[in-house]
Parts: sequence; C-alpha cells; structure tokens
Amino acid sequence: MNDIFLTDVINGLAALILLFAFVLVAGVRMGQIIRAYTLGSLALGLLAAAVAYYTKADHIYVVAVLTIVLKVIVIPKFLNYTVDRIKVKKEVEPLVSIPGSLLICGGLTFIAYYIASPIIAQGSSITKNCLAISIAVVFIGFFVIIARRKAMTEIVGLLMMENGLFLAAISLTYGMPMIVEIGVFFDVLVAAIIMGIFAFKINHTFETLDTTFMRRLRD
Amino acid sequence: MDQIYTDIVLSVLQALFLLAIAPLVTGIIRKIKAHMQQRKGASIFQPYRDIAKYFHKDSVVSSETSWIFSITPYISMAAVLIAALLVPVFVTRTLGFVGDLIVVVYLLGTVRFFTALAGLDAGSAFGGMASSREMMVSSIVEPTMLLSIFAMGLITGTTSLGSIASALSVSGIDLVRPALFLASAAFFISTIAENARVPVDNPTTHLELTMIHEGMILEYSGKKLGLMELSSMTRLVLYFTILSNVFFPWGIANDLSVLSIGAGLVAILVKVMFLALIIAIIESSISKLRLFRLPNLLTVSFTLALLAVMSFYIL
Amino acid sequence: MMLEIMIAIPLVTALLVFITRSRRQMELVSTAGIVALFAVACYIVYDVIADGNIEYSIWYLDSLSAYMLFIITFIGLMAAIYSIPYISHEIKERELTVDRAKYYYVLFHVFMFTMLMVVISNNLGIMWIAIEATTLVSAFLVGFTENDMAVEAAWKYLIICSVGITLALFGTILAYASSITVLGESSDALNWSTLMANAAQLDPTLLKISFILIMVGYGTKVGLAPMHTWLPDAHSQAPTPVSALLSGVLLNCAMYGILRYHLIVSVSVPGFSSTLLLLFGLVSMAVAAAFIIVARDFKRLLAYSSIEHMGIIAFGFGIGGFLGIFGALLHMLNHALTKCLMFLGAGNLLQKFKTRDISQIRGVATLMPITAVLFIAGALAITGSPPFSIFLSEVTIMTGGLSSANYLAVGIYILLLAVIFAAFMYHVSKMMFGEPTEGVTKGELERSRFLPMGTLLVMILVMGVFIPTQLHDLLVKIASLFQVFP
Repeated sequence: MNDIFLTDVINGLAALILLFAFVLVAGVRMGQIIRAYTLGSLALGLLAAAVAYYTKADHIYVVAVLTIVLKVIVIPKFLNYTVDRIKVKKEVEPLVSIPGSLLICGGLTFIAYYIASPIIAQGSSITKNCLAISIAVVFIGFFVIIARRKAMTEIVGLLMMENGLFLAAISLTYGMPMIVEIGVFFDVLVAAIIMGIFAFKINHTFETLDTTFMRRLRD
Repeated sequence: MDQIYTDIVLSVLQALFLLAIAPLVTGIIRKIKAHMQQRKGASIFQPYRDIAKYFHKDSVVSSETSWIFSITPYISMAAVLIAALLVPVFVTRTLGFVGDLIVVVYLLGTVRFFTALAGLDAGSAFGGMASSREMMVSSIVEPTMLLSIFAMGLITGTTSLGSIASALSVSGIDLVRPALFLASAAFFISTIAENARVPVDNPTTHLELTMIHEGMILEYSGKKLGLMELSSMTRLVLYFTILSNVFFPWGIANDLSVLSIGAGLVAILVKVMFLALIIAIIESSISKLRLFRLPNLLTVSFTLALLAVMSFYIL
Repeated sequence: MMLEIMIAIPLVTALLVFITRSRRQMELVSTAGIVALFAVACYIVYDVIADGNIEYSIWYLDSLSAYMLFIITFIGLMAAIYSIPYISHEIKERELTVDRAKYYYVLFHVFMFTMLMVVISNNLGIMWIAIEATTLVSAFLVGFTENDMAVEAAWKYLIICSVGITLALFGTILAYASSITVLGESSDALNWSTLMANAAQLDPTLLKISFILIMVGYGTKVGLAPMHTWLPDAHSQAPTPVSALLSGVLLNCAMYGILRYHLIVSVSVPGFSSTLLLLFGLVSMAVAAAFIIVARDFKRLLAYSSIEHMGIIAFGFGIGGFLGIFGALLHMLNHALTKCLMFLGAGNLLQKFKTRDISQIRGVATLMPITAVLFIAGALAITGSPPFSIFLSEVTIMTGGLSSANYLAVGIYILLLAVIFAAFMYHVSKMMFGEPTEGVTKGELERSRFLPMGTLLVMILVMGVFIPTQLHDLLVKIASLFQVFP
C-alpha cells in the first residue's frame, strides 16, 4: 500500500470523525448521540491503526486497540446502561436549536481550521491535516457541553473532546509516551464511570437529568 | 462552428431524452413502491397515459387568478427543459458555454418561485400554506444545492457541468476525495427535498396537514395540470442526472463515437434506475418527517455540503 | 525509596480505615496516617534542601516540589486533625452515619495521595493524570453530604474542571510536539527536567499556544476568572475540612502545574507567560472583589477570597523579578495557612448556627468568644493586615511591581486589595458583633478544634514578623529556578 493511498484512507477516516461529530450535534435522542459517539470512536481507532501501519510502531497498535475496546465497546455500553437505569425521557432538549447548533458548529470548524493553519504549515507528519479536524472536534465537544440540557449529553460532549485530543496527539506526535497514553485512557474510563455515578445521583436528587434545574447555587 | 452545431444538437437530444423517460421513471418508482406494499400496482407506462389524459381535458381556471397562474406551467416546463440542455446526460458535451451550474440552480429556482406564486395566486388557504412551507424548505435547500455542486466544481476546477463530468470521468480515482461523498450525500437530500419526496413531502397526499408540492398545484386542471406534472417528473429525472453525472460520472461518453455514446446511454439509464430504486425504497421505509423537524434534516444536509467544501481545503 | 514510602502512606491509611469498625479506630488510624505522612514529607524536604534535587525513574523533586510537599502535608495534617471533632459532631447530630464517615476518611487520604503525585512526578503527562485524578476524587468529597445543592456543586465542579483539564491535555500534547522535534520520540521528551534543559531550542509558536491552553486549562482548576464559576459552589458545599484542603492546597497544586510550564515558556518566549499571568491575576482579583461585596453565604465569601488570593499569586508571578516571585511563593504558603484557619473557623460557625447565611449569624463574640477571636484574627490576616503574614507577602509583591515600573497594574492591585478589605471586614464584623442570633446556645463546640486553629494562628503571626532562615533560603533557591536572584 503506497503512501498516497494511506494518506487518503487517513484523510477519509478523519472526515468521517468530523461527520459523526456533526451527527452527534444533530442527534435528538440519547440513543442517537451515543451511537454517533461510538461510530466516531471506531473511525478514530481505525485511523490510529492506519497510522500504526505507516509508522510500524507497535505501541500505536496497542493504543488503537485500546481505543476500540474502551471507546467503542466499554464506554458506550456503560452509557447505555446508565441511560436505561435512569429511565428519564430520552429526548435531548437542546438549549440551542438543532439547525442553529449545526451552523454554529460549522463556524467552529472554520475557526479550528484557521487556528490550525500555522501549525500545519510547519508539520511534516503524514497526518498533519487531521489537526484542523481534531481542534474542530474539541470545539464541537465543548459546544455540546454548553448547549445541551441533559447531564448525560454533557458526559458525551466531554468524551468527544477527549477523542478530538487523541486525534490531535496522533496527528502531531504519533501519540504520546506509552505510559502516558495508558494513563489517559484509564483516566477517561474512570471519568466516564464517575460521571455516570453522578448522573445517577442527580437523577436521584432532582428527579430529572435536566441541568437547568440545577440553578440553586447563585450569588 | 461545427463544434457548436454538434453541441446544440447533442444538447437538444439529451433534453428530449430526459423529457421522454421522465414519466417512465416516475412509473417505475410507483411500481416498486407498489411491490413493496404487496400490491401489483399500475403499469410503468401509466404516467404517460395520465399526462395524455390531462392534455385532452379542459382547464378550469379560477376567476380570482392573474396572469401568473396561467403562465406558470409554461415557465415551469420551459425552465426545466433549458436546464436539461445544460446538464450532461449521456455525453459530456452540453451547451455549457451558455450557462454553468449556477444558471442551472437558478433556473430550477425560477420554477420554484413561479410555482409558489401560483399557489398564492388563487387565494385559497391550501395554496398559501403550501407556498409558505415550500419557501421554508427551499431557503435551506437552495444554498445546499449550490454548495454541493460547487464542491465538485472546486475539485475539478470548473463550473460548467459538462466539464466537471468529463474531468471526473477521465481522471478516475485520483480525484476521489471525502468531499465527493459528503457533497453527494448533501445533494441527495436536496433531491428528496426539492422533488417533494418522502421524508420531506408526500407526493400522493392531499391532506392539508402534509401537503407542500401538491398544495401549490391544487388549483390546476387540464392542460396546465398536465404541464405541471410533466415538468415535476422531468425535474426529478434532471436531479437524478445531475446526481449521477456530476458526482459519479464514470461511463459517460467523452467523445462522439457510437460505442461511447451507446455506453453513455446505458450508463445513465442504469444510474437513473438505481436512484429510482433507492428513492422508492426510502419512500416505503421511512415515514414523513413532521414539518417542524424538517429544518433539522435540511440543516444536516447543508452542513454536509459545507463540510464538503471545507474538507476540500482542510484535507 | 523514601518517595515510594511517602506516597504509599496515604494509600495504606485509606485501606486501613476501610477495614476499621468503630469511630475511634477510624480517627486513630487517620491521625496516625497523616502524622506519619507529615513526618516523612518533612524528612524528604530536609533532604532536598540539604542535598539538592532528587531525580530518579518517574520522580523529580526540586526545591519547588519540596516546598509544595510541605504545604500539602502540613495543611493536610491540620485538616485531618480538625476532621475528627467535625465528623464526630456530625455523627452526634445524626447528619452522618459511622459508615458514611468511614467513607469520608478513605476519600480524604486517597485525595492526599493524588495531590502528592502531582508535585513529585517528572513526566508532565503523569502530572496531568494526577491533576485529573484529584478532580475525580475530590468530586466525591464535594458532593459528600448528597443534598441537592452539594450534588449540583459536585457536578458543576466535575464538568467544568474536566473540560479545563482536557484543554490542558491539549496543551501538554502541544508541548510534547514541540519537544520531539528537538529530541526525537522518546518517553523522556515529556519529562519536565528534559524540557527545561532544552527550553531554548523548543518551537516558540507551539509553546505559546501550549501555554495559553495550559493557562486556561489548569487555570480553571486554580480558580482564575473567568473560569472560576465552579469554585464558590464546590468550596462552600464541601465538608469544611475538605474546603480547607481544596482552597489551601488543591488550588496551589494546580498553580504548580501552571508554574512548571511557565518556567519552560519564559525561557523560550520571554514575557509572554508573565503577561498572561498578570492579566488573569488582576481579572480574578476584580471578579472576587465584586462578589465579596455582595456575598450572602460565608463559605462562599471565603471561596471568593481564595479566588482573590490565587489572583494575587498569579499577579506576583506575572510581575516577576526577584521580589515578585519571592512574594508569590511566600503567598502560596501564607494563603494556605490563613485560609485553612478561616475555613476551620467557618466550620465552627456552621456547626453551631447550622446555616451558611451571613444575615442569620450575629453576635458570635458573645456566643463563641474563642472562635470569634480566631475568626476575626483570621479575617484581618486574610485581607492583608499587619502583623500577619499575608501582609508581608502582599507588600513584597507590591514592591516588586513598583520596582519594575508596572505602576498601573500595581495601582489596580492596591485598589482591589482595599476594596476587598473593606467588604470582607464589613461582613465579618456584622457576624461577630451585635445582638446574638436567637435560639443559639452560648458555648464553644469541642475544644480539640482549637489545636489546629491555634497552631495556624501562631504560625501566621510569627511569619508576619519574621521569616525563618530556612524558609527564606528555600524560597531563594526556588526563585533561582525562575532565573531571578536577590
């Protein structure tokens, strides 16, 4: 497989990651959102595997496999389990309407590209183009946290920001030192679990996952 | 000079070809839907007979209407035919020097403009309601269409549809990029939206709650109705053709030899039939979206088109 | 060897607490654990002062780390000792069960462990993981009482700080990217010592963007405005000893994270990181001043005061020069001591009056005279009055600013300090004097509370008058890391 084809594959997967990020923003039900996150993580894992193939570095293969196991299987299973246990309405109730959110995310992607251009110009790796997409995914994840009411979507937004970061790490530096990568993975897993526990507590205390009810603490 | 003559002849031939197979395509879609609903359905040539029937009947025109009502069917048919002249069907030679993709999009926009006015013209509630819904849909669809074809124009470096088709079919795999898939997905959703297909609009309903396109042509009868029906069928095939030949043009004829033209004809027929099959399957499997959910779907397609243009620069 | 023992101690303590049965046993194990931790930490600090940096495998301790280690373990000791009467009071009032209290002690020691990990690791990635771990563990502590306001505070804390830390991860990645272009890919490339050694060769653009992300990201955990919105909620809803830990220690740990990057970036792009620190510092002080004026809940009042002091520390580092850096470093210790004292006093008030509302607390001087004295002293200290230690560090920073001709910045600094002094003392004096609130019995709560509070008061009085030589030498040594000399 020559380099051009590999670059195409990587670019195609990166475009898919961005696409699924938008699908997540356009999601109206929890199930759609979790599915969009799962598919985006799958594309991310495959991209990591492609990079591993190119650099012939074993530790990136490990990282790719970890991504797929954790983010495609374990975490979505856990999220779905939490959503089932909590038994709240499955609608997402956006604070910003869906067409508006999509347009704002389009704008954020522009900004991400603008920010990434000076770094892209200097880079030399096969994946430098993915940097703009990774920054865009981080922004979109941040937007999802702000613009959606349900506590569960805030968790997914945070997870998406982590995905974007992982993509940035892969595209800039072919991943970080092994021990750090593993630590970050388990961190993400534990964070997801802890947030799930808290979502539970919120539901228990407030009878709803709608975070607009949590406005009692103010000055 | 020769070149221009051949181009004119070929373009007219292509336009007439589209006109001729339009009712057939609609018939095929209806037949497939019928089969999916376990019925036998009408013959695939039924739309021809329907149109012929319309042309024989008298027109009843409300006295409240103005000249817009009378002129719209003719403008509709004419604009679609002119657009057909500019689109490569089985050969990449069109009257491209007369107009390019922007002209095509705006010709189709003219059709929509006059149809919406005609819907308002009769002063009936159904018409006005349908026209306003149509405007809401098209406010998002029009930029989407423009962006998605523009993405293709960016990739190939030209805005004439014929040249886009020939550039893509010649260079093969090299130009395949994520932008292509994103743009074609966006354009596909626009096709559904513009041609009043499920999930945007139901082409067979006359219920007030769900009409968009049907509502605008509710007042028409006789010859005028025949023209409007024929122009919408041709518009559908036109969109199919643009979708196939601008985004996936392989198979289209680049020179004038009999063999390649034959291959081009076969290719376009296959692609159009394939798209008809897909539309029929979608219509039978998905329910129509509620009106206030339409902007969600349409904005998704707009974002896809936007992503297509952006990914051209980012990736 | 000692390092591994030191970080094992809190984990072992947590485990032991978990298997205890009674309240007495819990308290004994917890106290023993924290005392042991403090002792070992002091030993290590002396080791570093005497023999220089400790550097092996993934650990790296220079004078800055040693200083932080001292602050963390000392405040931890004070908070843990105070926890005993506090928690047993809660159990007596039936607010907590013994099982739940056990859970508290376990989390407390695990939290100590995570904070230790932050300051002794060499690898910036591991430092990141440790900081994220502190957020995760302390979230449970913040939401400990599980009423609706505590859960809301814990959720806000969790989400906002995780978002911030994710941005900081991005900054870490960019720093790594800049380093591997010089050093090639290796696990050493994220070590702070390696980065510092090669700082001049690292790519300035990448480092600048990296520092901005680190500033915003870790700055969220420090409580700098405008990323501070979680802080008043979390610090006021947490159980009081935990609030003391959060305000006194955790904020400093996060600032330590920023400092590590500040050290690297100021070699590569001089002045950039200092300017950012100065700006964020002043903005934080201004925001804190505004909210202190309108405060209605006294624990939120203290939380905003923490924001103010973190702003002062950032301002000090931003001013730079020997006096600025020395003052900021000293302030980290002084603020930790004073804020701990204040929160412990607030704990007394809370458990006596059972409300956090300032307007419902009156006449503490009549009802709880010793607490009142300690609280007023603490209030004077925290707002920067002599003869307390905070006055010293604030004046040092001011002198540093004047000597580097940042007149406008120093002017704003002094103005804000004055405003905060007035507003804070207004609230405190309203609470302390006047007719006592109805329905509250006169008399102090458990006497053992005054042990940590008294110790802290003595320390801030003493340090307000003179700085022990060893502390002075240590601070000079740390300042030399910043390339500034007396």
